[in-house]
Amino acid sequence: MALWGMVIDLDRCTGCQACVMACKAENNVPAVGAKEANRGRTISWMHVLVEESEERTRFLPRPCLQCDDPPCTRVCPVYATYRNPEGIVAQIYARCIGCRFCMAACPYNAKYFNWLRYQQAAPGQNPDVSVRPKGVVEKCTFCHHRLQRARDRARGEGRELAPGDYVPACAETCPTRAIAFGDLSDSGSEVARLAKSPRAFRLNAELGTKPKVIYLSETEAHGRV
Amino acid sequence: MAVSDPTVERDAALFAPIERTGWGFYLTVGVLGLAVLWGAAAYWTQFDQGLGVTGLHQPVSWGFYVTNFVFFIGISHAGTLISAILRLSKAEWRRPITRMAEVITVMVLFIGAGQILVDLGRPDRLLNVIRYGRYQSPLLWDATSISAYLTASTFYLYLPLIPDLAILRDRLGKRRFLYAVLAMGWTGTERQHKILNRAIATMAVLVIPIAVSVHTVVSFVFSMTIQPGWHSTIFGPYFVVGAIFSGIAAIIVAMAIIRRIYHFEAYLKPIHFRYLGQLLLVMTLLWFYFTFAEYLTAYYGNEPEEMKIFWAKFTGRFWPIFWAMLVLNVVVPIACLVRLRHHAIGKTVVASVAVVIGMWLERLNIIVPTLSNPRLPFPEGQYWPTWVEWGETAGSLGLFILLYVLFVKLFPIISIWEIKEGREVGLKEVEERLRTYLPDETEPEPARDRAKVLT
Amino acid sequence: MSDERSAFDRKVRAAQWGVAALAVVFIGGIVTWIAHLIRTAWRLGDVPSASIGISLVAIPVFLVLLGVIVSVFWGLLRDGGNR
Repeated sequence: MALWGMVIDLDRCTGCQACVMACKAENNVPAVGAKEANRGRTISWMHVLVEESEERTRFLPRPCLQCDDPPCTRVCPVYATYRNPEGIVAQIYARCIGCRFCMAACPYNAKYFNWLRYQQAAPGQNPDVSVRPKGVVEKCTFCHHRLQRARDRARGEGRELAPGDYVPACAETCPTRAIAFGDLSDSGSEVARLAKSPRAFRLNAELGTKPKVIYLSETEAHGRV
Repeated sequence: MAVSDPTVERDAALFAPIERTGWGFYLTVGVLGLAVLWGAAAYWTQFDQGLGVTGLHQPVSWGFYVTNFVFFIGISHAGTLISAILRLSKAEWRRPITRMAEVITVMVLFIGAGQILVDLGRPDRLLNVIRYGRYQSPLLWDATSISAYLTASTFYLYLPLIPDLAILRDRLGKRRFLYAVLAMGWTGTERQHKILNRAIATMAVLVIPIAVSVHTVVSFVFSMTIQPGWHSTIFGPYFVVGAIFSGIAAIIVAMAIIRRIYHFEAYLKPIHFRYLGQLLLVMTLLWFYFTFAEYLTAYYGNEPEEMKIFWAKFTGRFWPIFWAMLVLNVVVPIACLVRLRHHAIGKTVVASVAVVIGMWLERLNIIVPTLSNPRLPFPEGQYWPTWVEWGETAGSLGLFILLYVLFVKLFPIISIWEIKEGREVGLKEVEERLRTYLPDETEPEPARDRAKVLT
Repeated sequence: MSDERSAFDRKVRAAQWGVAALAVVFIGGIVTWIAHLIRTAWRLGDVPSASIGISLVAIPVFLVLLGVIVSVFWGLLRDGGNR
């Protein structure tokens, strides 16, 4: 059984936010408008955090970290969010009652809420991804619909799923190839190898959430000529 | 058809709110109705457009509604807990107070549970909690515990109401069907009294652990997360203490208002306010002790995430709420309640109003600063409530008071049969009890026999 | 005149048994609901220990409440039937 994970090399991230835009386009993430954005309601499944300190400024692309011990699934009262056997933390819009407990529990603020009816079904959207109604929580799903498509294609061609068949939109789009994606349980895969790198670290690892988005810290040359 | 029982004529004043309706009643109902209408308009706007009409956003996704939820459930500890504890400790001064306290509990539990419904993004999917509930989630613990408390406190209000319902059934001409049905054929026989007293005693014992569990699981909604400022082991007892604290304050306010409006000066005397005021003072000190322990622990540990929230409350964006809370919950009550010999009623009422407001601020102070300061360098949240949230709060408060007023119109707010029992049976019982505390009388030895033994 | 009173009394009795039945159905419903949640958690393998642990306390509490209210209703309704 696969264990889908992601490695993001902070040495390569330029903060261009192509991943953010690709994610929004791929997943029908609504543009909430300037007024709502001013009130703090932008929905950004992939969000590039800016960590500023005296020595440097760091860009941290933060999707849902797909924790292996998620604090959010524990507190959901109605099974609307749960960790599936392949490690992806799913979000079921049809079940969600909008209590926002998972939002309060997530230490990474990776969950977003549809405060108003931000969009309806319309031409030009990705037909593989459902359009969320108002009053439900949504978040990054590692483009799970792409996994289903890749599986279907592989089955149609009578073969197993090959590495590279299933890549989320952010990983596919990143111009510096800072985002690597794959099966962490496959010891031969790129992500499994990178996850063991001495530069690898997890955000807030001490919380014990066991996130499957692993970051590679910058090398000495980062940002300097 | 109304027959007046001579033994209850002495307390005819207690029937006055039921028998007579003045223009004051209609005015009160009118004003409260307006508040409820404002709340309904606010909620309709929210139901139609979504929670976006509030001030909530990312990261502060919980605000007024959850504050109100915790606050109202906290007030519910007024009635049943105080009434049960006073009954079990055989405190005779409880007699005029227990019913009005129990009514607070039942009414405010509905309003409190309703706050969660108002807070949901999809209230139309409320049944999902029943069909697909997960007991790992503290919200389900809340649902179960509050159901148990609502059931128990409704029974605990209803059972001692039965003899009074029988009095109303026999005395009043109107609403005979209602009183006759609810009186369950009560005729006051000794056998019936035995059944009822045993049931009330059982409920008094049962309701205390249920009440403690309710606010404990409400606190677990916060303490079971790993957020700084919330993940504290002290939260269970802290919230229960805060609930009892705000509950006693609520009873005192209700007592003072009822005493003034219905002229119950003969029944709600300064001694009642003095005793409850002393209890309120004890709870002030207890609440302060927990608060002090909570903040000293955070400060001494100096963990960055905890200190971010600590300073946000002490000197940062939330300092007005934090310091107002401390003044209202500690300074004002201590100043008012240390000496209650004179002006007991005035002082306890001032202290109680301060505590009710201060405890609402305390709930806000727990919820919003933690959410406003996320761990990751997220843009910091600035929560400003909108008219919808103010309206919902006003409507909720108005609905609670309206339900209370309607209860007072239909049923005696001071328990008539228990006052009667206090006069007829209570004095003797207390005297006998005191006698058992005093040392036993032994017969003095005759002087002769002692002399015989010595010689 | 007495027919009128007994018709009123009969209506009152019926309503009283209705209230008692309502209380029983309400608490019975809650107990059934808790059992349903245990069964769902067991079937899905979703932390059944939480459901079982909580229901070990919650169900007896509700059953005691049911016992109290039924004993009161039964004791009162069975005995004084004239009013």
